[in-house]
Amino acid sequence: MTDYGMVIDLERCIGCNACAVSCSQENNVSLDKQWNRILTEGGDAMDTPEGSYPENGRDGTLSMNHLPLACQHCDNAPCVKVCPVNATYKRDDGIVEIDYDKCMGCRYCMSACPYNARVFNFDEPKTLPTDGTGNVEERKQGVVEKCTFCSHRVEEDLDPACTVACPADARIFGDLDDEESTASRYVEKYETEQLLDELETDPNTYYIRGEMSPGRTRSGNELEGTEKKAVGNPNGVATDGGDGQ
Amino acid sequence: MSAASDAGVVVPRFGTRGKAWLALLGVLIVAGLGAWAYQLRQGLAVTGMDNVFSWGLYIMLFVLFIGLSAGGLIISSAPKFFHSKRYDSLAALGVLLSLGCIVVAGLLILPDLGSPSRVTGFLTSPDPRSPMVWDFGIVLLYGLFNVGYLWLLTRRDFAKMGSWLAFGVEDTPAGRERDRKFAFWAAAIAMPLAVGLHSVTGWIFATQIGRGDWFNPLVAPMFIMKALVSGLALLLVTGILVDRFTRFRFPRELVPELGKLLGIFVAVHVIYLVAAERLPHAWAAHFEFWSITRAFLVGDTIHFWLWTLIGGVLPIALLAVPSLRRRIKAVFVASVAAIVGILFEGVYLIFTGYHDLNIDAAPGVTTGTDYTGLEADIWATTGSYTPTIVELAVAVGLVAVGALIVTLGLRFVPIQPNDRTPVSAERDETTATTADPVATDGGADAEVAGDA
Repeated sequence: MTDYGMVIDLERCIGCNACAVSCSQENNVSLDKQWNRILTEGGDAMDTPEGSYPENGRDGTLSMNHLPLACQHCDNAPCVKVCPVNATYKRDDGIVEIDYDKCMGCRYCMSACPYNARVFNFDEPKTLPTDGTGNVEERKQGVVEKCTFCSHRVEEDLDPACTVACPADARIFGDLDDEESTASRYVEKYETEQLLDELETDPNTYYIRGEMSPGRTRSGNELEGTEKKAVGNPNGVATDGGDGQ
Repeated sequence: MSAASDAGVVVPRFGTRGKAWLALLGVLIVAGLGAWAYQLRQGLAVTGMDNVFSWGLYIMLFVLFIGLSAGGLIISSAPKFFHSKRYDSLAALGVLLSLGCIVVAGLLILPDLGSPSRVTGFLTSPDPRSPMVWDFGIVLLYGLFNVGYLWLLTRRDFAKMGSWLAFGVEDTPAGRERDRKFAFWAAAIAMPLAVGLHSVTGWIFATQIGRGDWFNPLVAPMFIMKALVSGLALLLVTGILVDRFTRFRFPRELVPELGKLLGIFVAVHVIYLVAAERLPHAWAAHFEFWSITRAFLVGDTIHFWLWTLIGGVLPIALLAVPSLRRRIKAVFVASVAAIVGILFEGVYLIFTGYHDLNIDAAPGVTTGTDYTGLEADIWATTGSYTPTIVELAVAVGLVAVGALIVTLGLRFVPIQPNDRTPVSAERDETTATTADPVATDGGADAEVAGDA
């Protein structure tokens, strides 16, 4: 079996929002919403720290971290259980996906998701350019949508757009059922947390906090089980900003 | 229309006031449809909802009307179950109200949907795990049951009127006796069905781990209790109004009696259950005696106060004093206040789910409704909601549909056959049709007066 998941190293994340931008580009997400958000753990506003500035040398307490947040692709996904019409479902490969032709827009799943990962098309999506971006068809007014782990890319043996776009190698995508995958090795080696794990949703997204992972290019062969898959089909259009090395 | 043929119908024909009422309902329904058409074209962007506060007025009123309907049926069928005839004169009206309310509740779901044409998914690909599927099933079952139950209670009188709605049933003493037995069994089904309806609606919320206080085993019992409160209150309000404006007779001695019962229901709901829900949290979260007390007693939102003061303290004050609750006006005001309170309890429940985000770090969640240009702020870290005119117009239109159902029921269904006295099962067929039965209880027959 396959069980796709993601490891996000919060110590490597630099809060650059490249993953959020590439997500919106790749998935044709309307300008009034984001599937992938970069939250600031710190002050009250984005990219501000909490604590105080060091007035006398080393007495400062400023601290700030970033938390990229998108659909966690939970094993015990509340959104899947509440959907009255089976429009949202857990795929055999672990991805939680929405059938946009079945969704009737009742938004029960939005109430169910403790991560607020889901967004609703209150009106027609707005994109620049107006005929859309990326490689995913636009969703209509009146349906719920969210991160799909770029299932259209994964099906072509490519990593999700966010993973490829991350300049800090903070995102590792892979098969959690495969012990040899890089993602599994990271979960095995580093202390990870699942967000809101007290709610027992059992997400397929793991966050590394505390000890920073070395980054894929420096980690050597020990952790490199499966390579980063940036560009697959040579005839395809590279939309991820990768240079197709 | 001959006197014999409208026996039992409390509005033999619509007078000027009746027609004006129908016209008003018609205008409201058309306005509601217009608003819904506008919303369908523009999308739910014309409502006050967004990605953080994703359910609004429609669901708040859905919860209210589910409550109003379940209560009405329990009130009218429970006495039948215990073979009491004391409330017979209210039974058919209660079921008619239940029917009207459950239709409104069911219809309120439609404008809440982003793609209402796909509502057929409930039938073509339902997920049995979803509490909303359970609710869909039980709302449908409950609505159909109400139609059947109302017909069972009135079919002999339809037959007596010679109405085709009797569907071939004859009006015979033996038949009436048999119907009484059927009504017992129907009541035996009605009560668990009503309890189920309200619990399942509560579980729509109570199963959700992601929305704060929704995840609370007390929600379903709270829903049962608020059904009893709001259902009985609506029966009292409607009964008093219908007594005032039609030939319907609300037996006067029942008013303080049901008023007292309403007072008990309100006390159990607003005092006991609220205490049971809040005390453990307040106790666990605070250390000093007074801060525990404060956290226990003092609510933090306007909706909490609207619910507990208008919907709790005021009705209890009016209904606890015997000399007050013997006044119809006092019972009427208390009932209206109780319904308003229950409305705001639903509002309060929705707000407790959506106000705070589980992960509320800046910049928060994209609202999905605030894009005005590239410099727009599309983010929110707390939920806020104010219904728009469009939502209000749609909702009022749907409530008018319920009022229309009840009005037409009063016009065409013999909800009070004969001059039925509350404790007697006697059916004297001669007295019913001659005199205006309303005169004795202080009610006026407005329709007749209007026609004269």
